[in-house]
Amino acid sequence: MSLQEDVTEWSCGACGGTLEIVKVGFTYMKGNFEVDLPACNGCGLVLVSEELATGKMADAERILEDK
Amino acid sequence: MTDAGSSDISATVSLCPHCLTRIPAERRLEGDDVFLVKSCPEHGEFRTPVWRGKPALSEWSRPKKPVHSGTHHPEKAVGCPFDCGICPEHRQQSCTVLIEVTGRCNLACPFCFAAAGAQAGADPSLSTIEKWYRTALKKSGPRNIVQLSGGEATLRDDLPAIIALGRGLGFPHIQLNSNGVRLGADPAYAGELKRAGLFSVFLQFDGTEESIYRAIRGRDLLGEKLAAIENCAAAGLGVVLVPTLTPGVNTENIGAILKLALELAPGVRGVHFQPASYFGRHPGAPEASDRFTLPELMRAIELQTHGLMRVEHFSPPGCEHPYCSFHGNFLRLPSGGVKPLTRQSAECTIETIGTGRAVSYVAQQWSAPAPATCCCDTNSLDAFLENHRTNTFAVSAMAFQDAWNLDLERVQECCIHVVAPDGNMIPFCLYNLTSAEGIPLYRRKSC
Repeated sequence: MSLQEDVTEWSCGACGGTLEIVKVGFTYMKGNFEVDLPACNGCGLVLVSEELATGKMADAERILEDK
Repeated sequence: MTDAGSSDISATVSLCPHCLTRIPAERRLEGDDVFLVKSCPEHGEFRTPVWRGKPALSEWSRPKKPVHSGTHHPEKAVGCPFDCGICPEHRQQSCTVLIEVTGRCNLACPFCFAAAGAQAGADPSLSTIEKWYRTALKKSGPRNIVQLSGGEATLRDDLPAIIALGRGLGFPHIQLNSNGVRLGADPAYAGELKRAGLFSVFLQFDGTEESIYRAIRGRDLLGEKLAAIENCAAAGLGVVLVPTLTPGVNTENIGAILKLALELAPGVRGVHFQPASYFGRHPGAPEASDRFTLPELMRAIELQTHGLMRVEHFSPPGCEHPYCSFHGNFLRLPSGGVKPLTRQSAECTIETIGTGRAVSYVAQQWSAPAPATCCCDTNSLDAFLENHRTNTFAVSAMAFQDAWNLDLERVQECCIHVVAPDGNMIPFCLYNLTSAEGIPLYRRKSC
């Protein structure tokens, strides 16, 4: 399931707010990135999918860490 | 491998170069060099250098779990390498599957592993090729790189249909092995292949000087090669340059090849060196001086790139047998230099790749870079990763085996398999192996 497509079916586990796609900034070592991700419109908690965390984000980590 | 009583000797099995009888063999360390030594009761002793100098063969290994996916040949049970198909003695699955779509060729090279040319049989029909694709699917699944080869595959006007057929059957990565003559002559042709579903071209590219082509291929070709690269890059096809390295002809041109390839990146995705092997068509039985081993190549790269790429930047493979290849990835820097990337890649055992990650990684590296992103998107994670991929340059090499240096321990870990006309999957070196008298172990004259 693509989180980007189905975000309206999700609600925030922390505050019950609805999710919307926002531009989220990531900083790691000297890298700064922006990724469109679902975030709670109430408390701002961001949902990072396992696919993103273990895929592209892990790839970027490896590159920045020079592994 | 069994120890024959000395750390300087290890036992393996090979074939007699003349009668192709299976005979015991030894790898003997003499100084920093390793020789494969074997003796046929009828034809005498053979001694072939297989590894010269540093890095030492004893240090060149990488642990991996064996994968046994072969089955016994239904009609024969005489053992490796005579009933290949592949059999349960094989310890590796396919990562690249070769399908030969023609035996014809538009060159007449003095060196040709397929001995291709004017005497080729009729081309296989599309339905026969579909049968071979289905064999490959059944025996090793779709997560391989399928390389369409020959002869010269571009001589077939229905090559786009052959590519589309493979894609339609579920193979995501179809690569063309080509001499580039047609790709260079017809600017629209690369686009036609790309639209049919091709992702990459393995381009025979022996050097940066015409004298090299005259010696290895029989005529001038450099201009056609450069045009082929330009046309492929314009069409969005990744290009891997594949030099056949022949001592005394182009082994002093290695640095120049890498320099030119870096200038032609990112369209050129990397260079894959292949030291000359002596099977199919070749000028005659090789002398020791006709051998160019992998450590010699690594040291030549270091010397001829003036240290830009060094021996320590290269790793043994995680896929095929460690004595068969090396690879290293480099990041092209805006300053013009390169930075070695130490990340290990190219694992291809089921245990380590899970969903075929390694094949995907190699396929990604060999495919064309995405078009440049809009300046407003440069902070995105996708743009960062794509920029890194675009500027990653792969250098690798593979040492094929012939009747003189064949080592069955290496063969049994081979992951490059040819779909033979009878539907068996044969390791590349065995499929192409010919005796000193030119008698093939497996290959027939027609496709």
